[in-house]
Amino acid sequence: MWMYYLSLGINSLRRNPILTFITVLILGIGIAASMSTLTILYVMSGNPIPHKSDRLFVPQFDTDGMDGYKPGEKPAFQLAHKDAMNLLRDAKGVHQTAMYGISQAVDSRRKDLALFQEPGVATTAEAFTLFEIPFLHGQGWTSNEDRNAAQVVVIGQQLAKKIFGKTNVVGQVLRLDQRDYRITGVIGNWRPLPKYYRVYGSGAATGLPEEIWIPFSNATSREYSNNGWTNCSGDSDPGYQGFLNSECQWIQYWVELKTANDAAAFKDYMSAYVATQKKLGRMPRPENNRFSNVMQWLEDAKVVEQDTKISSLLSLGFLLVCIVNMMALLLAKFTARDGDIAVRRALGASRWQIFQQFALESFVIGCVGAVIGVALSFLALRLMANGNADMSAIYKMDAAMLSLTVCISIAASLIAGLLPTWRACQVLPAMQLKSQ
Amino acid sequence: MLHMKNLSKIYRTHLIETHALRNIDINVKQGEFVAVTGPSGSGKTTFLNIAGLLEEHSQGDYLLDGVSIGGLNDDGRSKLRNEKIGFIFQGFNLIPDLNLFDNVDVPLRYRGFKSNDRKERIENALQQVGLSSRMKHFPAELSGGQQQRVAIARALAGTPKILFADEPTGNLDSQMARSVMELLEDINAKGTTIVMVTHDSELAARAHRNIHIIDGQISDINAEKYVSAAISEIA
Repeated sequence: MWMYYLSLGINSLRRNPILTFITVLILGIGIAASMSTLTILYVMSGNPIPHKSDRLFVPQFDTDGMDGYKPGEKPAFQLAHKDAMNLLRDAKGVHQTAMYGISQAVDSRRKDLALFQEPGVATTAEAFTLFEIPFLHGQGWTSNEDRNAAQVVVIGQQLAKKIFGKTNVVGQVLRLDQRDYRITGVIGNWRPLPKYYRVYGSGAATGLPEEIWIPFSNATSREYSNNGWTNCSGDSDPGYQGFLNSECQWIQYWVELKTANDAAAFKDYMSAYVATQKKLGRMPRPENNRFSNVMQWLEDAKVVEQDTKISSLLSLGFLLVCIVNMMALLLAKFTARDGDIAVRRALGASRWQIFQQFALESFVIGCVGAVIGVALSFLALRLMANGNADMSAIYKMDAAMLSLTVCISIAASLIAGLLPTWRACQVLPAMQLKSQ
Repeated sequence: MLHMKNLSKIYRTHLIETHALRNIDINVKQGEFVAVTGPSGSGKTTFLNIAGLLEEHSQGDYLLDGVSIGGLNDDGRSKLRNEKIGFIFQGFNLIPDLNLFDNVDVPLRYRGFKSNDRKERIENALQQVGLSSRMKHFPAELSGGQQQRVAIARALAGTPKILFADEPTGNLDSQMARSVMELLEDINAKGTTIVMVTHDSELAARAHRNIHIIDGQISDINAEKYVSAAISEIA
């Protein structure tokens, strides 16, 4: 019987095509509005490195002075240089890395390509392992090169193509700020979303990964300034060395632990570290450490903006309005068929069979609505991306969202069809047959 | 076949009670062709709706082919209607967006017949009413008489034991009405019980027996001889 009801449902689409079109269009618009905003919410609240997100942590210390101290406030999200260096030296994790943003002038040595500024990252060799950055060619630099502040660089494939016209440029030289850097590797396709490893600073959580990666030690020895968020309180000595020795927080620090359970031991280490620093006259505030894994970190960083959450809620409200409108249209559509229902009842259809028939009809409308909804969602996401290639990865539906769209569309039409279907079951055949 | 004892139908609103049928006793035997007559508003259609399980009665007993209707739920009534009853309406009541084949198919679908069985029954039924060549046509493409023949084919396809006809010739001209009536007589001759509501005294005269209803009560003395039989059968 299901196939029979399904064929009746499909046939009924042709019956009163204008009403059917409006019903399906309302559903499609409601679905597109809600699913396009939910897609953004879904992408931005997703786990960018699911297999190890519970083992990657960001340590935070409250290193500010007592001025403006408010108990319960979260500590700064970055570390002071001296703390980052101490943690790197102690190396309590399986891997650890410190990083900060740079922005260097790139000289392509080509007449047709003028000097241009390119944002990058100064970090340590372990970053490539810790973040599982894939290489198209070559590899990252070595720990030894970290120690020697070597003039080495890892670049992205877009930059390689832009300067050299090809991607396999390992061993070639990239000129940054009038210094030659030997290319050790070219990063392959890598687009963590959200961009968890540097959610603050340039590009923020939706940006593309940086195209230039140089050793942290090299960047600081060349006195490359921070291209990102810097939080300073209190006085510091003048000059770059003074900045390094200051309590300014500007370094993003990540540590990878062997298991998620090792977090407790690391927290103990952090407490002991704070105690030591207090003895050295630093960290006057009460101990206020945080140790967040990737998902906690993204939540702290408010990667999913309040606006996104509100628009998702509003779009769901809009879908609800569409469902109510659709319900009214289905009520009109089904009421027009009271005569048919009465005949079917007279010929032996039970109320339950009528219910199944009309529920299947709502299902068919949901399926057609899903097709329109998906098409309009793609269009809406394309418009939101506004031709920006960086954003197209965010404004993009994956298989899971596509399936969810279809499911929500069908569920919405079934919900909208509930009242009209129930009403159809209540048709009194005797009354209808007499009036025909 | 059809036994009603002391059967009443009362329509109630919060203000008034309307007695559509009052203590009706009727017995229709297997193979009979009974005409139900009476003036407008006398309760003929109410009787037919209750007999055809389209409405529930308020009081009394009703046995259809040995099954007591009183205790049946919607599923049970629908199943019984589907298996034992065929309907023919004054307005034909074909489903306009289904072709003749699919219209006749409707009750067979609810009966759960297999595809081959359904096809055979539909073809036979349409052949019986002389419309086998127009299976793919839609109701709007047929004359009134032809539409009523399709309705008869639909009623017959499931081989019901009893056929209820509500003014089956009411919307037809005299020639078509005669032809439909002849068809009903043929069907009855093959053993199907027919209960027909009609205003037409000429048509009623062609039935084996008339039941005359006035003000919700049987007034025809012709019916009385069956009353005692009905009472004894139910008892």
